[in-house]
Amino acid sequence: MAQKTPAAKFAADTVRCYRQSVLTRRSLLKLGSLAAASAVVPRPARSLDKADYSLEIAPYTLEISARHSIKTTAYNGQVPGPLLRLREGKPVTIDVTNHSENEELVHWHGLFLPPNVDGAMEEGTAMIPPGGHARYTFTPAPSGFRWYHTHTFAGEDLKKSTYTGQHGFLMIDSAANPGQYDQEFFLALHDWEGEMTGSGDGSMNPEYRFATINGKTLGFGEPLRVQAGQRILLHILNSSATEQHWLALTGHQFRVIALDGNPVPNPQLVSMLRLAPAERICAVVEMNNPGVWVLGEVRKHVQATGMGIVVEYANRNGKAAWQQPEKLMWNYGQFAATTAPSAAPSAAKPVIEFPMVFESRFAGHGAPDHWTINGKSWPNVESPLLQTGQRYRLIFKNPSTDDHPVHLHRHTFELRSLPGKPNTHGILKDVVLVEANAEVHVEFTADHPGPTLFHCHQQNHMDEGFMLLFHYA
Amino acid sequence: MKVSCCFFITLDVSNFKVNMRRILFLLCLFTLFSEHALHAQGNYEIQVYGADTEPPKSLMVEIHSNFTPDGQKKLIGGVYPTNHQEHETLELTEGLTSWSEVGFYVFTSEQDGHGVQWVGDHIRPRIRVPDSWHWPVGVSLSSEIGYQRAPYSPDTWTWEIRPIVDKAVGRWYFAVNPALERTLHGPDVKQGIGFAPGAKIGYDFTKVVSGGLEYYADYGRLGDFYSLHDQQQQIFLVTDLNVSPKWEINVGVGIGPTAATDHWIVKGILGRHFSWGKQSQTD
Repeated sequence: MAQKTPAAKFAADTVRCYRQSVLTRRSLLKLGSLAAASAVVPRPARSLDKADYSLEIAPYTLEISARHSIKTTAYNGQVPGPLLRLREGKPVTIDVTNHSENEELVHWHGLFLPPNVDGAMEEGTAMIPPGGHARYTFTPAPSGFRWYHTHTFAGEDLKKSTYTGQHGFLMIDSAANPGQYDQEFFLALHDWEGEMTGSGDGSMNPEYRFATINGKTLGFGEPLRVQAGQRILLHILNSSATEQHWLALTGHQFRVIALDGNPVPNPQLVSMLRLAPAERICAVVEMNNPGVWVLGEVRKHVQATGMGIVVEYANRNGKAAWQQPEKLMWNYGQFAATTAPSAAPSAAKPVIEFPMVFESRFAGHGAPDHWTINGKSWPNVESPLLQTGQRYRLIFKNPSTDDHPVHLHRHTFELRSLPGKPNTHGILKDVVLVEANAEVHVEFTADHPGPTLFHCHQQNHMDEGFMLLFHYA
Repeated sequence: MKVSCCFFITLDVSNFKVNMRRILFLLCLFTLFSEHALHAQGNYEIQVYGADTEPPKSLMVEIHSNFTPDGQKKLIGGVYPTNHQEHETLELTEGLTSWSEVGFYVFTSEQDGHGVQWVGDHIRPRIRVPDSWHWPVGVSLSSEIGYQRAPYSPDTWTWEIRPIVDKAVGRWYFAVNPALERTLHGPDVKQGIGFAPGAKIGYDFTKVVSGGLEYYADYGRLGDFYSLHDQQQQIFLVTDLNVSPKWEINVGVGIGPTAATDHWIVKGILGRHFSWGKQSQTD
């Protein structure tokens, strides 16, 4: 029964375009326009009923400050895209029209969707050609703070794919919404106008000219207006293509209640948050320190490029205050369950271990490194076979000098071993940052059949081969 | 000398290979048949500059060690012969901003019969095109002015302006330094502006080991170049060892095929970056 349910659900989840065989990422970009052009055309779109939501992908000029604008691509003429608030288990249709000059598709990050609608061409979701249209129909699950974003190849063009403004909040409400807050805010962290530069260790990574929260630099956008005594709920997304971010709110602390949209077993008060690319944090803040404050990037050089937003109490004004922290502090393990569960869900079956070693392959000081998983670089990889219902332990070993925010599509995994905390329980995520020279173990149950993409969510790493496709037997 | 030439030819520089064979053959011929160096040389800092500048709050300390196994053997115009001179140059480069730096040089020479001698000092401010301009190549401009004692250089005060263009493409690295020189005090003060270009082509064999060729020349006065016989022409086979972001290591051996050039020079650069100021995680 447990195996039939997702399959039955998947049958109802569709995207109205032809599926394609999984080729290489680059060749799919080329072939996708031909295949999808014959499938995703305006004609069928006209015959469809009105969708619940629609997204228009189009060029957009984003005013990030009084002096600077960014020419990018966005959803519905705004950055971030519109908040899509869906009900868990209630089918939804979303029309997507591509007015950009590139092939596009939308990935529904963190949802348990079938591969043909998940929004990754490597899994089989069709590309939407320029001028084309697609209708995504699916049943959203699980509940929690998810997001949607483009999932295309950027390569050396740092004005494409996740470097653009194509990201938005996706909130899947459960039937039992706790609602223990007075006001909620959705915040997206993003970096703009990147340029590939050589780093000290010989590899290349983007450096950015601007960084924003909800598309605005510090002091330019509207402040978060709060009242003394309120409990505000922050849903924070790092939509940056490549950068980790640390956030602090001067004069306040965050009670972290969920990571990647999944409630943590041990909510904690922390003074700062760290979000790797694609990670989300839900945190409650007690507004008990009236004033005008900065919620901003902790690192000075990043805040100087604009990453911050003013938090303003009612009847308070003046210059926003910022108190500079001296250290970066973050640790997933603090939110883990304090005691191990009495019986693991897979107690009846042994967990199958699957080691994954992340390494770079030097390609010259004037070129980005190629990335490999177990010595293989996408698309020349072997696809591991998963057995439905089986529990797997992925052992991430990162001997490289770069951190990697790795993401498993269509599944949620549990953090089981972290540096300094070898036996971890209860933290469910879909992205985990594997720091340089570190080892992290996660476990997941293979309960969503179909091709399942695994990759580093740092765009330039993914584009340079850091990707692998699991198949179900 | 022939061994050296063969060594050069074995470099796999693909498209340049055939032309390089011809050029090197000609250079070897010049070397074998040239006898007199007509102009004093300044082999104190033998380096083709890249466009990057030193970051602010950091200092690059470099030692340039250059030895001339086969150089000018005669005293010309009161200038010591370069043969068997060992030059040690201390270069200190301080980053000012993300796009500017200033360098200081202390030149010394050691030679039998003369001992260790202070030769002179230079100062070299440099600016570069900021990354935010998104130029397809790295570009910077340095200006170097300084003094050197007459026994080591008849022109005691000189000024140089050096445009620098570089580009890394995959494993290849290219840099050109079409430098212009002006004597402020000395016999060449009325010569006008001289043209002294440098260029480099490098290839990353591994992440640590790069190899390539460096070219240095002094063509003489702009618009009135010396004859090839009297020009300074040097080609170095070099390797750069990228062992650490903090360290810079460059070694090379060069030939000077014209009469006006030291025939053999061995060079080495050892550099280390130092940073100071409170280095916080949150900077």
